[in-house]
Parts: sequence; C-alpha cells; structure tokens
Amino acid sequence: MMAKLKPEDLSRIAEKMRRQTLLREGAGRAKVTVHMGTCGISAGARKIMTTLLGLIDQQQVQDVILTTSGCAGLCSREPMMTVEIKDKAPVKYVDLDEKKTLTIFTDHVLGGEIVTDFALGMGSERVS
Amino acid sequence: MIVQPEGIFYQMLTVENIPNLVEEHLVKGRPVDKLMYVPSKGKPPIPKLSDIAFFSKQRLVVLKNRGLIDPEKIDEYIARDGYQALAKALTSMDSEQVIEQVKGSGLRGRGGAGFSTGLKWELTRKSSGNGKYIICNADEGDPGAFMDRSIIESDPHSVLEGMVIGAYAIGAAEGCIYIREEYPLATKRLHIAIDQAREYGLLGEDILGSGFSFDITVHRGAGAFVCGEETSLIGSLQGQTPEPRIRPPFPAQSGLWGKPTNINNVETWANIPTIINRGAEWFASIGTESSKGTKVFSVVGKVNNTGLVEVPMGMTMREIVFDIGGGIPGGKKFKAVQTGGPSGGCIPESLVDLPIDYERLMEVGSIMGSGGLIVMDEETCMVDVARYFLDFLRSESCGKCTTCREGIAAMHDIVADICNGKGEPENIGLLEELAEAIKDASLCALGGTAPNPVLSTLRYFRDEYDAHIKDKKCPAGVCRALISYRIDPEKCKGCMLCGKHCPEKAIGGEPKGPQTIDLEKCIKCGVCRESCKFEAVLIE
Amino acid sequence: MTQEISIKKNSNGKIGAVMVLGAGVAGIQASLDLADMGYKVYLVENKPSIGGAMAQLDKTFPTNDCAMCLLSPKLVDTARHPNIEIITNADLHKLDGEAGNFTAIIDKRPRYIDEEKCTGCGTCTNNCPVRNIAHFEDVDELGKVHLSQEDQQVIEQILAGHESERAAVISVLQDINARYRYLPEDILRHTAKALDIPLSRVYSIATFYNSFSLVPRGKYVVRVCMGTACHVKGGYQILQALERMLKIASGGTTEDNLFSLEEVRCLGCCGLAPVITVNEDLYGSVKQAKLPKILERYQDESVVAESTVGGTE
Ligand SMILES: Cc1cc2nc3c(=O)[nH]c(=O)nc-3n(C[C@H](O)[C@H](O)[C@H](O)COP(=O)(O)O)c2cc1C
Ligand code: FES
Repeated sequence: MMAKLKPEDLSRIAEKMRRQTLLREGAGRAKVTVHMGTCGISAGARKIMTTLLGLIDQQQVQDVILTTSGCAGLCSREPMMTVEIKDKAPVKYVDLDEKKTLTIFTDHVLGGEIVTDFALGMGSERVS
Repeated sequence: MIVQPEGIFYQMLTVENIPNLVEEHLVKGRPVDKLMYVPSKGKPPIPKLSDIAFFSKQRLVVLKNRGLIDPEKIDEYIARDGYQALAKALTSMDSEQVIEQVKGSGLRGRGGAGFSTGLKWELTRKSSGNGKYIICNADEGDPGAFMDRSIIESDPHSVLEGMVIGAYAIGAAEGCIYIREEYPLATKRLHIAIDQAREYGLLGEDILGSGFSFDITVHRGAGAFVCGEETSLIGSLQGQTPEPRIRPPFPAQSGLWGKPTNINNVETWANIPTIINRGAEWFASIGTESSKGTKVFSVVGKVNNTGLVEVPMGMTMREIVFDIGGGIPGGKKFKAVQTGGPSGGCIPESLVDLPIDYERLMEVGSIMGSGGLIVMDEETCMVDVARYFLDFLRSESCGKCTTCREGIAAMHDIVADICNGKGEPENIGLLEELAEAIKDASLCALGGTAPNPVLSTLRYFRDEYDAHIKDKKCPAGVCRALISYRIDPEKCKGCMLCGKHCPEKAIGGEPKGPQTIDLEKCIKCGVCRESCKFEAVLIE
Repeated sequence: MTQEISIKKNSNGKIGAVMVLGAGVAGIQASLDLADMGYKVYLVENKPSIGGAMAQLDKTFPTNDCAMCLLSPKLVDTARHPNIEIITNADLHKLDGEAGNFTAIIDKRPRYIDEEKCTGCGTCTNNCPVRNIAHFEDVDELGKVHLSQEDQQVIEQILAGHESERAAVISVLQDINARYRYLPEDILRHTAKALDIPLSRVYSIATFYNSFSLVPRGKYVVRVCMGTACHVKGGYQILQALERMLKIASGGTTEDNLFSLEEVRCLGCCGLAPVITVNEDLYGSVKQAKLPKILERYQDESVVAESTVGGTE
C-alpha cells in the first residue's frame, strides 16, 4: 500500500516520472510509443507491440523505452507509433505492419535514420 | 499549400512552381521533395505535424495528453501536471470559488443539451439534503460518436480529477461512472485508474490531507440507448427498468436514491481540471460568444481522415471536413454532415461555412449533440439516412409514451415505403404532421427530438424525397428497390472477380471480355461493385 | 358457457334494464349515466377487461391530457356501481324481442382464473410464458429451481461478488450473461429469489437491454455494427451478406451452434467503419468479399486459439 499523498508530493512524483520517461531528462536514448486505443488494437497494434518486444528482447537493446498510450486521433491511419530519439523531434509512423515495424526499428530506432516512406510527420501536436 | 490525403506540406511556393508541383504530385503522385519543408540538411524531408492540417487546426484541451501518456500509469499523468488542479482546489479554494470558476468559464454540458455546467453544479449544491451524488455519463449512445471512449481510454485520470473537483464543489461523497458495456477496454482502464488513484489517496478518505472524502464506483450499461438520458440512467443504476421519468423534479433536486444528483458527460468532467488550472478567463477566451472552449468531434463516414479531433468552438464545418478531414475519398462530391446523432440533423453543403456552436446548429435544425460528425457524399441517400435513424429510434424507444412508440414506427413505415418506391406525394404532409405530434407529446428528449432527422432532411433534401416519390428513383443509388446494377462494357476488363464473389451466380461473360449481370437473378447485394478494381459496375 | 339473463318486467311491460355492448370509454360513460338514472346496466365486453383503446393511450387529443387520469376514475366507478354488472370476455350470441323487452344470449369465454380470488395484481401477466421463456409444466413446479451443482456454485459466486451493492440485479445479470452467453431460465429464477425481487422484475430488466438474450447463443457471436458511420459505409449490406452466408436471420443461431448473428449500435470504432466483431475480436473496414475468410478462422478449431487479436480486413 502506497502512502497517501499530500499536495506537495505531486511535484515530487512528477519530477521522478519525468526523469524516467523523458529523454531529455536522461531516461534513455530512444522512446517508442505504440498507440493502443480500441481502434489501434483492432487495426493490429498488438502485433506491432509484440514485434517490438521481440526485437528488443532478441537484440538485447537496453536504452530504448517501449511504452503504450491511448489513441492518437487519426483512426484511418492506424496502427500508429511514435519514435523519439534523444534531442530530436518525435516522428509519427502510420499504417504499420510487422515488416514496416522491423524496418523502422532497425533504421530509425537503432540507426537514427527516419524511414520517410512510412512516416506521417514529425513534431508534436499543439496543446493549449 | 497542403496536398491531401497525404498531408504533404509545401512551402514558399511561387507561381512558377505550381505547374511542376501539379504535374509531379497531383498527376504522377510523387511529392516534390525540393518544395517541401526540410528539417535539416542531408535528411530526407518529411512534413511537420504542425504543418499538417489534420493536426495544425486542432487545439487540444481535453485531449491534451492523448498519445503522450500511458493511461495505465497514474505517475505519467501526474508528470504532466495531473491532479495539480485538484490540489489547487482543495488547498486554496472553497467550494463556492470552484463553482464561480466553472460558471465564469462558460463551460456548457458536452452531453448534448448544452446546459451551463456551473449553474447545474450550483443548483445541486444549493439543494437541501445530504448524501448527494455525482454521476459521470459515459453511456455514449450516439451511433458514430466515440469521444468519451477515447477520452477514457487515453486519459482516464482527467475524468476522475474533474469528478473529484466537482464533488468537492457540490458537496458529494459518492460518485458513479455509468459506462456502456460495448467499451471493454475503456472500462478496464477506468478500473485501473480508480485503483491507482485510491492507492495514492486521491480518492477515498481525506483526499490529499484536506479532510475531504469522496469515492467513485463504476457501473456498466447493457446496451440501451435510452439509458443515456439522465433520469433513465438513474433508474438503471437503481436496478429498475430504465424508463425516463417526468421532470421536475430534476436530478439536482431528487436523483439517485432520491438524493440531489449532478450528472455530467465525460467530456464535461474532463474539461474541469484545465479550467481550474488555467482559470476561467483563459477558458472563456476560446470559442464563440455563447459557446466557450473546445469541442471534441469524431469525424467519420465518407471522409479521408477519420478520427477524433478537438477544435475551438466556432470553427466552420468546411474547415473540419475539408482541412482536418482531408475531404471526400475518391474525388466524390460532398453532400452533408450529420451531427447530433438520432436527435440531430443534416447540414447541407450550402451551410458548410457555418461556424459551429450550440446556437447556430440549433438554428439550422440540428444540434451539437455529443459530437459525432458523419460526413456524407453523393452516394449517400438522405431518405435512407432518415429511414435509418427512424429504425434506430423505433427499436430504442422504451415504449412508455404512445406518441414515441407508435409515432416513430408509423413515420418509419412511411419513409420505408418511400425508399421502396411506394411513396405517395401526400406522405410528406403526413410525416410533418406526425413529427409535430411526436415532438409535442413525448415525455423525454428521445421522442421530443426523434423527428429531427426527418425534418432536417425534408428541409434541405426535398428534391431527393421527390425523386423517390415521383420518379421512383434513388439519385444516390442506395435504395435497393429503385436501383439496378449494370456493368460498363467499356471499363470492364473481364477479370471475372465480380462473378467469383457473386452469391447468386448472376454474372456471366467470357474471360477477358465484358461481363453482364442477369437482372433476374441479381439480389443487389453490391458485392460486384465493391470488388471491381476498375469501377466498371454502375448503379442506375 | 352460455347463460341466459332473464329479467323481471316492469308494470308497464317495459324492462328497466339496458345492455351496453362494448366497454370502451363511450360504453363506460353511457353505462354510468344510465345507471345513475336508475337503470340496471349489463356492460358486455369482448376483451378480458374494460377500458378499451383509451386505456392504452398516453395522451388525448387535442388537450394533451393524460388519458389514464381521465379514464381510471370512470373504471373504478363502473366496477363499484351497484346498478352495473360487468360481463367481460363475452360476445353477444343472439338477440330476440323488441324495444322494451329483449332477450339476449351471451357467450362468455372461460377465464381460467378464479374471479373471486383474483385481486388483479398483474403478476401473472408479467410472468406469462408466451412472452417469456418460462414454461410451467404444472403449478407445483412454480418457484422450484433445478440447478446443477456447477451452476449453483457459479451463481453463488456471482451473487457473492455483488453482495454490497444496493442495486445488484443488473451487475448480476451481466455476470451471468458473460459466463453463459445468455440468461438461463433456472438461474434467473434463482437470482430473483436470492435478491428477493419478483421474477417479473428480473424479466423486465432482462428483456429491456439489448445485450441480454433469453435463448442460448452460439459459440461465436458475430455482431455487425449498425451505427451511423457503418450504415453510410455499407454496414447493412455486410449484415445481409452474413445472413446469406450463415443461413440465419439477424438474431438467430446456426444449427451447429457455432455462430450467432446480432446487430449492435456502434462499437465506438467508427473511424474503421464498417465494423464487425466476433466475440472479442474486432474487424474494421470489412468488405463483403472478405467475410468468408473471417468466418473460416472460427470454423477451423485449430486456428481459433491464435486469432484473438483482431485485424483490419
Ligand atoms: C435519448 C437520450 C440519450 C442521451 N444519451 C446521452 C449519452 O449517451 N451521453 C451523454 O453524456 N448524455 C446523453 N444524454 C444527455 C443526458 O440526459 C444529460 O443531459 C447529460 O448527461 C448531462 O450532461 P452534460 O450537462 O455534461 O451534457 C442523452 C439524452 C437523451 C434524451
Ligand atoms: S458506427 Fe459502427 S462503430 Fe460506430
């Protein structure tokens, strides 16, 4: 059982979490987010996730954070994932399958080269 | 300029570039790299999200965390300033101040009716009686809408945080979330989120050491559209047959188990943390005179980019359909947008520049509804759409009011006759008369708004009704009784794929030669048209 | 049963009694007026109860007054009026005589209910086996529940899981539905008893919601989305194609109990319309031509295990 939080604990957790998940805070070299809402999953996001897990395990990659997240909003182009390399803008990939995932993993995640053929765009959405 | 559907952004165009660009990209389908945004030297250029209309026109308030956090980890929500608004409310504001903020923000209910949220909270707060309840309505019944599912799936804590703040303002100790059973993933994530929030003491006794206690339970629906109506939802929670009951008393006076109850939609709750964090003025600065903030829409149907979009109120339909949605697939002609689900109406092309807010939509005979935007093109028959909604409402009417139960069925039969080519000119007057009676005499808004889809299609697409009734033709090629399929011998390459799929073996012809359809055998299932790669199957 | 009504004559040879045929609101009002004037009234009605069409209306034209509020007092007055005798479930068989002295022969159909004892509580209507699946072989069986040991355990466990809830019935039904894919009759009866609510209430809830079924479903439930987005993208054609392929109508189950076909209102995946689900697997952008392949996966036992991940077809 966790201790009950006090208001000031929130920023402490936030700090800790940012260190663990944000690349610029030194969490890792690269971060791959698979978008897994109902749409994404039914379009095959789980296969993408399994493929990535397999690749990371197989090649013993240590410095890549693999995480999931909810729907990215563009249902017609699911499955989607976002690849972010430290100090670079994140890149969104769309219409994925296992083969494309392999290419993206080797070329972009490990090699640092954006796979332009499968990429939708780079950067982040406007949040206000 | 942006070339859709690929969403490639070209910059610094000059008149000289255009012919080249049209030739290369639009005709040959090859994007012109040298005119595109180039991130840095040596790298192949890809467009920036902020340059792609689908993303750039959106403004994320409710969906601020979408795609960025793991919804199953509360810490990631906290890392993006989650629960700060709750801390702020509990430590530095009293409940009246919270309500003042919500009132001042101009936030209106996102569940359909658009009642002022702050006002509703105040009413419930002022109601006498203890043991008040708050309810989150996640029974997203509108077909074609999935905002609430997506919000809960990608950011469940924003809803929980909004609810705790609301409970603090209203003085409620218990909350319920009523979620449809068609959303198993959202339900699962909601349970995880609630457990994690309890562990952190963000739900339960003495939240954040403030002395305020509040907890939330989750209830699943079982597939009944009418359960989205607030009194019916309360009935369902109480284990009764969920029929709407007469109001007053409003839930704010006597709701769940007879206690004052405040009920809001998922999206309404999810707006609250941002309003408390950024202040009422900030929120009120977005949107139009009467409708503040942003609205999440699900853009679906005959549109290139289907998905969930969040835009400031007051954006025009054209921007949503053509810029964000990327226009109609296959170069077809845009016909209408349906908003507001079965209670709403269709907005024709002539009104596509209308800025969207609660009042304007009402003026043109539709409603904001929960946010489903269904785009229709020239191959959508508006009479068929009216028939579809009547069919939906006929089977979802709880049957309590005669006008709703029998009236909708009667309207359905008339419209179905029109679709089947059995319509008479005087049917239109009868439809209008029935619509009036159903509107006047039904108890809840299901019946009260049920004629809207018919009335709005009659208003804007009278010519289609006339074509069905007088010429016995369906211009869009949808109503089966009025169409027949034909193969264009010019276009047919004789691949025989259609014949392979035809369930009635009604298609014949030589390999590599033009095929023909035996109209005697044809059941008009349309599989030939669907499978033809050369668009050789025509509807007439 | 044919019963002859014989009436004493008045001194002037006329009979101070009236027969009113049809106990709708007009017949009722006429009877009340006549009875108040001192005539003996025989109110004959074909249906088992009086009230007619007005009792079924919600509002009346043109004032939009509540129909039952107007009618109910009259119904009660009629039943209580000493001068009115109500003969329901009956037809006029023969009428002889002339004005002032008629002989009427009335056929009264049996009611199968002891009218002396019946209080009109209505519970029997709610439990009517024609409308529900309940069927009672003989009266003693009523209320007896036959559960296998396994079922007994399952239901006890489900009930225990919702013990603390104030209105557990829907949650319990959902759990039963999840376990059996329909609501078996005996288990429903057990539930009604355990939760101490009338069986009729359980049935009215079970029949209200779309996701409950009172008849067994197949091993795989194919649900076709009939939401708006799916409709404009051809969901109805998908449904019809499935009906043809499975040779069942929507709502039915194949003979081998493998597939049931159902319609559902929007699965919240409208971006991928048209959408179908087979049990938990969701398929988006479905085409008619792809359906046989999707179904095949479930027809072949060995493939099923690994296909729990849906895919866009
Ligand atoms: C037939 C009918 C269906 C409704 N369905 C929903 C629904 O699915 N979701 C929802 O939030 N509100 C729905 N509502 C509106 C609710 O009754 C209620 O107004 C709303 O939940 C209030 O929340 P808000 O003030 O945040 O909009 C429906 C109303 C009617 C009459
Ligand atoms: S309309 Fe079919 S999933 Fe929403």
